[in-house]
Parts: sequence; C-alpha cells; structure tokens
Amino acid sequence: MRKDILLLIAGQFWKNVFKSKAIYLLMGIVVILLIYAAFSGMSYHDQNHFREDHQKMARESWEANPDKHPHRMAHFGTFAFRLKHPLSFFDFGIESFTGNAVFLEAHKQNMVNFSEASFSTSLLRFGELSMAMILSTILPLIIFFIGYRAIAAERENGTLKVLLTQGAKWNEILVGKSIGLWGIALLFTLPFFITTFIMLLIEGHTGTDEWMRLGLITTVYLTYTFIICLITISVSAASHSSKNALVILLGLWLLMIILLPRTSQALGAYFYETPTKLEFRAAIEEEVIQYGDSHDPNDPHFNHLRDSVLKVHNVNSVTELPFNYSGFVMSQGEKISTEIYNRHFNDLLDQYRRQNMLSRTLALINPYLAIKNLSMTLSGTDFETYVDFQKQAEDYRYNLAQTMNDLQMKYISAGVNSSEGKLNVVDRSEWKSFPDFKFNPITIGAALRYEFISIFSVILWLGISVLFLRYFSKNAKAI
Amino acid sequence: MLEAKNLSKTFEGTNALVNLNLSVASGEIFCLLGQNGAGKTTTINLFLGLIKPTSGAALINGEEVKPGSNTNQWIAYIPEVVQLYGNLNGLENLDFFSRLAGYKHSKAELSELLIKAGLQEADHTKKLSSYSKGMRQKVGIAIALSKKAEVILMDEPTSGLDPMSTDEFTSICKELAAAGKSIFMATHDIFNAVNVGTRIGIMKEGKLVHSSDTDNISANELQQLYLKTI
Repeated sequence: MRKDILLLIAGQFWKNVFKSKAIYLLMGIVVILLIYAAFSGMSYHDQNHFREDHQKMARESWEANPDKHPHRMAHFGTFAFRLKHPLSFFDFGIESFTGNAVFLEAHKQNMVNFSEASFSTSLLRFGELSMAMILSTILPLIIFFIGYRAIAAERENGTLKVLLTQGAKWNEILVGKSIGLWGIALLFTLPFFITTFIMLLIEGHTGTDEWMRLGLITTVYLTYTFIICLITISVSAASHSSKNALVILLGLWLLMIILLPRTSQALGAYFYETPTKLEFRAAIEEEVIQYGDSHDPNDPHFNHLRDSVLKVHNVNSVTELPFNYSGFVMSQGEKISTEIYNRHFNDLLDQYRRQNMLSRTLALINPYLAIKNLSMTLSGTDFETYVDFQKQAEDYRYNLAQTMNDLQMKYISAGVNSSEGKLNVVDRSEWKSFPDFKFNPITIGAALRYEFISIFSVILWLGISVLFLRYFSKNAKAI
Repeated sequence: MLEAKNLSKTFEGTNALVNLNLSVASGEIFCLLGQNGAGKTTTINLFLGLIKPTSGAALINGEEVKPGSNTNQWIAYIPEVVQLYGNLNGLENLDFFSRLAGYKHSKAELSELLIKAGLQEADHTKKLSSYSKGMRQKVGIAIALSKKAEVILMDEPTSGLDPMSTDEFTSICKELAAAGKSIFMATHDIFNAVNVGTRIGIMKEGKLVHSSDTDNISANELQQLYLKTI
C-alpha cells in the first residue's frame, strides 16, 4: 500500500463529506447532545456534593451524641453515602438504578436506598443521555450514515472503475476510505473526551487513577469507532447497492445495540434466577432465628454460650464476669448474623455475576456489549463498583456494631443489664474516636479484574474487522 | 495500442465474449456496436482488468492485462455517465484523479486541461453535481489527458447527450486520436460511430460478427448492416 495514495483517498473522502451540508447538520446535533450530556453530568456532580454534605451531617449528628450507653449508639447508627466516581458523569452506567445511601446500625443489614430511578418519573425508563451512551449507540449510526455509500455508491455510478483505472488498488481504496471515515468519526468523538478532560480538571480530580481511566476510556472508544468504520467500509464494499449497504448496516445496529443486549439480559435472568428482595430477607431471617436470638434470655444457643463462658471464667453468674456479658452476647450475635448475611449476600452476588458473565461472553459476538461493560467499569458506574460500596458499608457497619459492643464490655459494669441510667454510659469522646465512613472506589486494576473478556472482545473485533477489510480488498468486485 | 487475442469470457456457463481478436492502433477510434448484453462492456472490463478472461489475452501496449500488471498506467476510462464526486468541483475532481494516477498538476495546469477537454473556465469551480452530462464527460476526458493516457476506453459516452454536446464530444475524440491516442468506444449510436470512428465493429452474442473501416460506409448503410446482423 502506498502511503501517499492512502492519504489522498482518505483526504478526498473527508473533503467530499465536508462539502455536504448534511455533515454540518449532524455535527450540530451531536454538539447539542454533547452539551446536554455534559449538563446532565454536571447535575450528577451536584448530587455528589449533596451526598458529601449529608455524609458530613450524619457524622456531625453521630459525634453530637452525649455520653450514652454504647448499644444505644449502635442503634443510633449512621449513614453511608455512596459518592460517585469522578468519571461517572461520562457514563452513568447502573448509577440511576442503584441506591446511594444506607442506614448502618447494629444487628441489621439495611438495603441501599434512594436510587435516582425511585425518585424519577417513568421518563427515566427511556434511558439517559450520557456521553458514553451517545458514543456507544448514536455514533455508530452516524458512522454508518456517513460511510454506507463509500464504496457501494461508487460501484453503482461507475466511479469505482475510474478509481481503479487511475491506478488505485483495492486495498488502498478500502483502507484509505476507512481512514477518512475514522478521521470524521474522530471529529465527532474527540470533543467528548476533551470535555471530560476539562470537567475532570475543573473538579480538581487529577489523580493518576482518574487519568489512567480516562486514557483507557479514550483508547477503548477510539478502537470501537475504528472497528465500526472498518465494518461500515467492508459492508459497503460487499453490497451490490448503497441501499443494500444501508439496510445491512441498520440491521447490524439493531442487532448490536437493541436485540443482543436485551437478549443477553433476558437469558441471564432466565438461566440464573435470583430471589426477590423479600425472599432474600426472609431466608436470612429464617436462618438467624434457627441459630438463636441474642436478645432472648432463654435462647438455648446463647444459654449454652453463657454456661461455657461462666465455666471458663470459673464464676457462677454473668455479673461476676470481668466484662459486661450483654456486650459479649451481642458481639457474638452480631458475628453470627453477619456471617449468615454475608453468605447469602455472596451467593446472590455470585448469581448476579453469572448473569453478567453471560452478557460478557456475548460480547465476543457483539463489540457493543464489550464497550458498554468496559465503559461502565472505567467510569466507576458498574456492578462491581456498586458491590464494593455495599461491602465497604457492611464492613463499616459491622465494625461500628462490634466497637460499640467492645465499649460495652469494657466500660459498662458487669452487673448491669439495662442500658438505662446515668451510670451505664460511655464518654462521648469515644464517638469521635470512631472513624467516619469514607467510600474508596476500587482501583482500576481491581475494576478491570472482571473485564478480561470485554478487553479480549475489543481486540478480537479489531482483528475480525481488519480481516473483513482484507478479505474484501481481495475479493470485492468493481462491477 | 490495444489488442485482443482470442479473448473469451464465460459467466456461469454463458458465453459473454467468444474469441475476440482485435487491435486498435495509435490514432484509431474503434467503435463497437451491439445490443445490450452483446459483450461490449465485458470487453471493456477485460481491458480494464476488472474481470479475468476465461481464455485468451487482452493486451495494452503489448503487455497482457492481468493481476499485478501495470497496464492501467496507459489507460483512461470514461463511463457512460461520469459521476465522480458531485460535492467537489471540476478542478478538485481532476486534481484528485490525476494525483491518483501519480500526476501532480498545478491549479493552472488543471484548468488548462479542463479547457482543453472543452470545459469553460467559469465552470471549473462549480460543483460537479450542477454539471450537465456533457460537462461531466469533459471532466472525464480531462482526467484522461491529465494522466497522458495512450488508450482511452469509453462506454457509451454519447448516450443521453444532446446533438450539440455529441458533436462537441466527437470533435474532442478526433483531436485525441489525432494526438496519437487509441480510442475504443462501445456505443449504440450508429450515426456517431460512423462520424467519429475510423473503424467499426458489430458484436452479437459475444462474437465480433463484423469489422470494417468507416471510410466507405454511410450511416444508413451501417444501420442496414447492423439491423441485418443482429
């Protein structure tokens, strides 16, 4: 392939497209979409500040408690707010459908509540317009529209014959047009990343992790648009008419963007059924009850525990123990109920992961799914990032409950069973010394742990689309 | 020079071209007549190297047209309708296609080539989509001139042209032949074939059934011969 001819053909394609008024109309529409998506992203940023403020208020409220019995503090509890990832304004992912605040208290794993969807009208069901959504679903359509005629129309009107007679080789024509089309696609794509870059700078998110994520997101989307360009030119080269090419490309779009993702979702739910929220809760409750109730003085399991503790300490009554026995019992109860919850929760997560794995595997036949998964992961709006928040919140809750139990064991008199009375309190300075909840999003490496198939799929599709182009550069017909 | 030696092409069992033997020397205009499907365009496609012959050989300047050969350097092709790129103007189209052939002309040279092909200067910067068919054909000729093509293949170039444009086109073809180009033209236009051609051929079902000089034949006689032959 001659480099000068490639650039000549690419430049001519570019020039020809930009001589048409339609391209400016398309660019105008995309700019409006970009502004809209960026604005939506900014409103997400406002929500993040709102959550930060509420996290601060929850902390202030916690610290403002007077001297109190630790178990009352364990039930006073606190809130954990899920802060959005700095790049969440680029790809909203599952953000709107997952809760963002959870009340943390002893004995109980509350659900994460207050998702955007639960506070929105049904309009949210139409989908949100994020930058990622525009790039992954609308941009392919624009590329198809710009490129479907690239070869097919020239075959129809005889220009292809003139091109070949003038000395251009098939591979030079196909690669040149692909480069030209990709160049145009870049004009549509790059403003999104420049906007994201500027928004990160404005927000002061200048950590290595964020830049690496942005760099990877940019690479992933540029590769995706290149794949789409190669497919467009290949289909145009393979089609007898430009009308056929357009129909095939629109069919591909429907298959890739609408049909396969919905199918993978439905198949996942069908093959790997998950319990309802009620069933999940009931199963945990049932198992905890079977195990024993730490609050019930006649519970056989805890009576047995009491007897063994008395025996070890060689005393006859819990009031003779060197620590507050109620605190000890609750500590044990917390441990047991948390273990049960974690087991059920991990089983549920495994089931969700099986569902997700099906969708990830289907990414091997659909690059859109791979891009969607990678984009959400790199933007910190994927399932695993959400699960990570749930785990961090639960760890914090468990630690809070057990710290309060430890305080009770340490500072509350052994003879005291009740939480009433001024004598049965702990100094308020203890509340302050218990650390605040701080959500730390998972690192890029951990985030990509589940995305090997998606990464492989992008590389695979790049290879497949190059092979397509290579095939048609050898087998395409000028007439 | 353009030459066909026992050139044959079969498409899925159908003979599109059967043992064509033909040569068009420098300065000659060979007009090939025939009904639709007679094999005229197949012949052109074989010379352009767009399809492979089933047997025989197509030669340009003595070199066989085959994959990897460089015969396109001597050829220019003018289709029935020169579409090229409607969003670009005449100069831009000519610039692109001549660069593709390895010729980089200045704007003045490009303009000169278009004028030589008969396109008025005022039209050079107009979009090709606003051109008439005749004007587009002139851009096609300018492309042929720009690459200094020795052989020009034309596929029904006067189809749809008004009489004045046809006459203008005929004059340009004669000028090209006088400049030493070999011109091979597939056409339905009997009267123009007699007028512009130095030799004519009639093709039927892939066979060249008649070939003669145009010196001693009138348009009416050719029409009779054509009707009788097909």
